[in-house]
Amino acid sequence: METDRRTILRWLGKGSVFAAFIAQIGAAARAFFPNVLYEPPSTFKLERPEDYPQGYSFNSEHRLFVVRAANKFHVISAICTHLGCTVQWRGTEFDCPCHGSRFDANGNVIAGPAPRPLPWFEVSLSPDGLLEVDSAETVPQGSAFTTPTEKA
Amino acid sequence: MATSVQRWWHKLVWPWSPLSEREASEAIVRNLWLHWFPAKVSGRSMSWSYSLWLGTVAASLFVILTVTGVMLMFFYVPSTERAYGSIKDLQYAVSFGRILRNQHRWAAEGMVALVFIHMARVFFTGAYRGARVLNWLVGVALLLLTLMLSFTGYLLPWDQLAYWAITVGTNIASEAPVLGPTFKYLLLGGHFVGQQTLLRFYVLHVFFLPAVVWILFAYHMWRVRKDGGLAAIEPLRAMRRAEPKEMPRSKSYSLFGLTPGTSVAVMSSMGLEERDQVASSPNLTRRMILVFLVVFNITLLLSLLVNAPLEGPANPSVTPNPAKAPWYFVWLQELVASTTVHLGKVTISGGLVGGILVPGVLLAALILWPFFDRSTVSAEGVWFARERTRQNVVFAVITVAIIILIIVGMYLRGPYWRLYWPWSPRPVLPRVL
Amino acid sequence: MPGRPEQSFEREDFAWLVVMSLVFFALVAIALWREYATPWRPWQRQFKLTLAHAGRFDDARKFHLGIRQIWNPELGLVDRCVSCHLGFEWGGILPATLPQPLTPHPAPAFMAHHPFERFGCTTCHAGQGWATTAYGAHEGGEGWEEPMLSKQLAESCGLSEGELIQMRCNYCHRRDVSTDGMDSINLAKKLIKKKKCLICHTIEGQGGHTAPDLTYEGDKNPELFDFSHVTGPKTVFNWHVEHFISAGKIAPGTAMPDFNLPPEQARALALLMLSWRRINYPPQYIPQPAAQSAPSPAPTASAPQTASPAH
Repeated sequence: METDRRTILRWLGKGSVFAAFIAQIGAAARAFFPNVLYEPPSTFKLERPEDYPQGYSFNSEHRLFVVRAANKFHVISAICTHLGCTVQWRGTEFDCPCHGSRFDANGNVIAGPAPRPLPWFEVSLSPDGLLEVDSAETVPQGSAFTTPTEKA
Repeated sequence: MATSVQRWWHKLVWPWSPLSEREASEAIVRNLWLHWFPAKVSGRSMSWSYSLWLGTVAASLFVILTVTGVMLMFFYVPSTERAYGSIKDLQYAVSFGRILRNQHRWAAEGMVALVFIHMARVFFTGAYRGARVLNWLVGVALLLLTLMLSFTGYLLPWDQLAYWAITVGTNIASEAPVLGPTFKYLLLGGHFVGQQTLLRFYVLHVFFLPAVVWILFAYHMWRVRKDGGLAAIEPLRAMRRAEPKEMPRSKSYSLFGLTPGTSVAVMSSMGLEERDQVASSPNLTRRMILVFLVVFNITLLLSLLVNAPLEGPANPSVTPNPAKAPWYFVWLQELVASTTVHLGKVTISGGLVGGILVPGVLLAALILWPFFDRSTVSAEGVWFARERTRQNVVFAVITVAIIILIIVGMYLRGPYWRLYWPWSPRPVLPRVL
Repeated sequence: MPGRPEQSFEREDFAWLVVMSLVFFALVAIALWREYATPWRPWQRQFKLTLAHAGRFDDARKFHLGIRQIWNPELGLVDRCVSCHLGFEWGGILPATLPQPLTPHPAPAFMAHHPFERFGCTTCHAGQGWATTAYGAHEGGEGWEEPMLSKQLAESCGLSEGELIQMRCNYCHRRDVSTDGMDSINLAKKLIKKKKCLICHTIEGQGGHTAPDLTYEGDKNPELFDFSHVTGPKTVFNWHVEHFISAGKIAPGTAMPDFNLPPEQARALALLMLSWRRINYPPQYIPQPAAQSAPSPAPTASAPQTASPAH
């Protein structure tokens, strides 16, 4: 009987230390998953629609192109779908400086290693009259946001 | 399957719970974690009442500090702009960040106290005599390193408490004759606490000082073994030496057949007999694990109950009233504040007396004491040996004086460093709103 | 001193080891539970329900529990107030009668000019943005010098909450001659002209040199004020109030005349004094002195977009 109780107690002790130890490792691992991010949110505001010239305007902060045709707007990501470099607008096409991927004016791959076309992001108008982009929502090519009033 | 798992498990853990005397001895030699223990240890070295296990407690705290410290390094940014924010993030946004910082803080303050108490134990038991002098000196170095580690860590949160405690602390150091100002200039990387200071303290705190502590700690442990274990065994060893040896009778073969005689008595290298000792594994290891668990539990409990202090962000243009050094240096601040001496036209700055002379003399005393201790072997490894009463009283009086100064500095000093009894009202400092 | 049998050590330590192991387990369990039992979690659950009750099922579904913050590196701003004050940008969709902390911000017209993502909360309300507990956020704890400008704090100064907050409005609007909605500060600015303070005092490089420079009066260490003649609370605000009523009583021998101002004028001036601080906001936050505020676009009820928790 005596040894039985000791065996139970021994395993209870060892078990609780082991469990608590594993829990601590888990806690330490959990600490590495940030609870807050010091990053811009995926939804952000740009300039007023009328501030954009016709054609392609590059936004270096959010790494995207705002494309304007009359009062129609769409936003194309400037992040190469290959390995994440920033592509450049070369007048007729996007060229990636890193590995030579080339995309047409709509972001479709013409040449190079890029596996997918450049995504288009959802555009809307914020309550305070600024273009608003949700980089978490991609939209099909050809979608465009039309400014409600002909301010331009 | 089950048996093969069992076999592998046994292969991993057998040194920790040996089944025979032979396994117990082999465990020490064949296991990386155990090889720094002696194969056998005397019962007195193991007892709670002799060593109080203070060295193990201090070492446990240092292990906790190393682990929590490495974790904190992943979240802390040593820049004057971001250090405070990264601590606030630990307090409020990082999972388990608050408890991590609390445990680091309380273990750090505990280590300063425990290293000192460990030293007091060694002093009161006269355990620094003979060959153990060297280890005493290593211990003094470890105490200084612990203070420096704690001091450098104190600055890192970059709050008002940290900024002004380091300002006060480094100014005490600069009172040293000749080299003081240069030392302060080097330590701060300038004349005031700033970005350079923060970076220097950070590198000292997370790399340089801990590395030296780990090396010296390993040496400290090695010396304990080289010196024949804890001084606790000295009285026992002396007794065993004095005992008339009753050699076991045996029969041996001589040239002419069997002859009666005595065989060689087995004595360990420590001069103890088999019956005085137990196997280190699992007796010593079990108790060490127990001590570590107790220490860990206490620091964790403290961390759950009390938050590490953090005040407003460092503001070089507003000094808190009063600004205090960390508690383990506050006795020096107390001396600095009250020992400016005027002798005729000569003024001796309190900074020199309290900041350098007194601690310098105390440090020199710690280093030189064993060399002037004339007590006999019989005073070694015994608590409060009568022969050493006077020495012990001197040590105790100085310790009590320091503790009183710390209490005065921490609890009785109010705004403008004036004395206030705990029950007397303190002036309410004005606020903005 | 005889040796001891091995078993005695095991017998002595065994029970303690078991106890300490269980204590270890219990403490770690408490630590884990405390991490989970954060004060914001119940509010966020309730807010999720509130969204669903208001018919915003999609938003309720997308609402993830976790610490939320408004982060603006331009101002060095990290405001986690919105971890509990969840309704702040839902005005027009959620009822204004929701109890705190879920209440929508009561001044949508004002917010149209001062969007949350640029100004956060603490820019106007003060308090500790890093904190994720009510006490830490509102009071800040030991050594925190910018407690939230609460109703209670305002009442202790004899002001309304809105008046007290004007002090912080004036950090940026300092050079406005007059600003909509800042009546107390506007009054104080008029008084500065009317009482001709610049004859003696220097403010932003202009004025006389016979009296102290007031450019950064709000940054002055409270301990540098002499409170020996102040009758009310020992605050810089109150010092200024009493000083504006009777400078001679508070600082005997001063050259400043006793203005005998009515209390509300003295309080307005005290607010203005506290608002004159060294701030390092980027220039786009400082309004043009003569700029006329454009008519505000009507706030529309669109779903808010602040950073949601990382997950």
